[in-house]
Amino acid sequence: MDREDLVAKLKEIVAPYTHDKDSLATISPSTDFIKDLKINSANLVDVILDVEEEFDIEIDNMEMARMLNVGETISIIEDKLKALDRK
Amino acid sequence: MIGNDIVDLSQAAKESNWKRAGYLEKLFTMAERFLIHVAKDPEAMVWLLWTMKESAYKAHTKDTKIRTFAPSQIFCNNVIVHPTLATGNVIYMGHLYYTQSTLSEAYIHTIAGEKTGVLKHSKLKISDYDESDSAYRNSNPASVSHHGKYLALIYL
Repeated sequence: MDREDLVAKLKEIVAPYTHDKDSLATISPSTDFIKDLKINSANLVDVILDVEEEFDIEIDNMEMARMLNVGETISIIEDKLKALDRK
Repeated sequence: MIGNDIVDLSQAAKESNWKRAGYLEKLFTMAERFLIHVAKDPEAMVWLLWTMKESAYKAHTKDTKIRTFAPSQIFCNNVIVHPTLATGNVIYMGHLYYTQSTLSEAYIHTIAGEKTGVLKHSKLKISDYDESDSAYRNSNPASVSHHGKYLALIYL
């Protein structure tokens, strides 16, 4: 899966929790979940659980701590998927 | 520094399914999950602990400007719940924050600060939140939180 596909998938995942639909339309690696998309912090957990389900990966607390924007989240997903490929 | 957080309980019921598999494990420590498990009203305990964490996190972030999403690294301790209020401590990054919470059927609100005296003398104003009206900013609140129908302002 290339980066563009990952962003598209992530866009679908965050859509139901997003309160700023304009920011969602222009989503990019620098898009901040809380500041730009206005996702409620309690819903960040849902984003993380949805990412785990969608990509069949497990995100630990250290990784979760960094998942405040699209770019960081994509790089965590990419690393996880690469690690799975190597197995 | 201080921080505050409000949860509109009817909005939270719509937005969040805290019974979702894995949800509580990502947000809460084992000790906190035990408090939720044994609480008379588990849902209220979820949001009480959440507002404690959020308010302490906000107080801490105001000082450090370091943002992170690590709710299970923010520890709630000594939680004492009365019918309409609660008190407790929160430990985050080695700092101890005292918390005072207001419990109602419509919302749960918590203020956190490093000094109990500051909390005691602070004034809390909860009103209806209107997205189009930012006039409250002119009143110079020390801390602002809003969720669903409610706006919470703290004045020192």
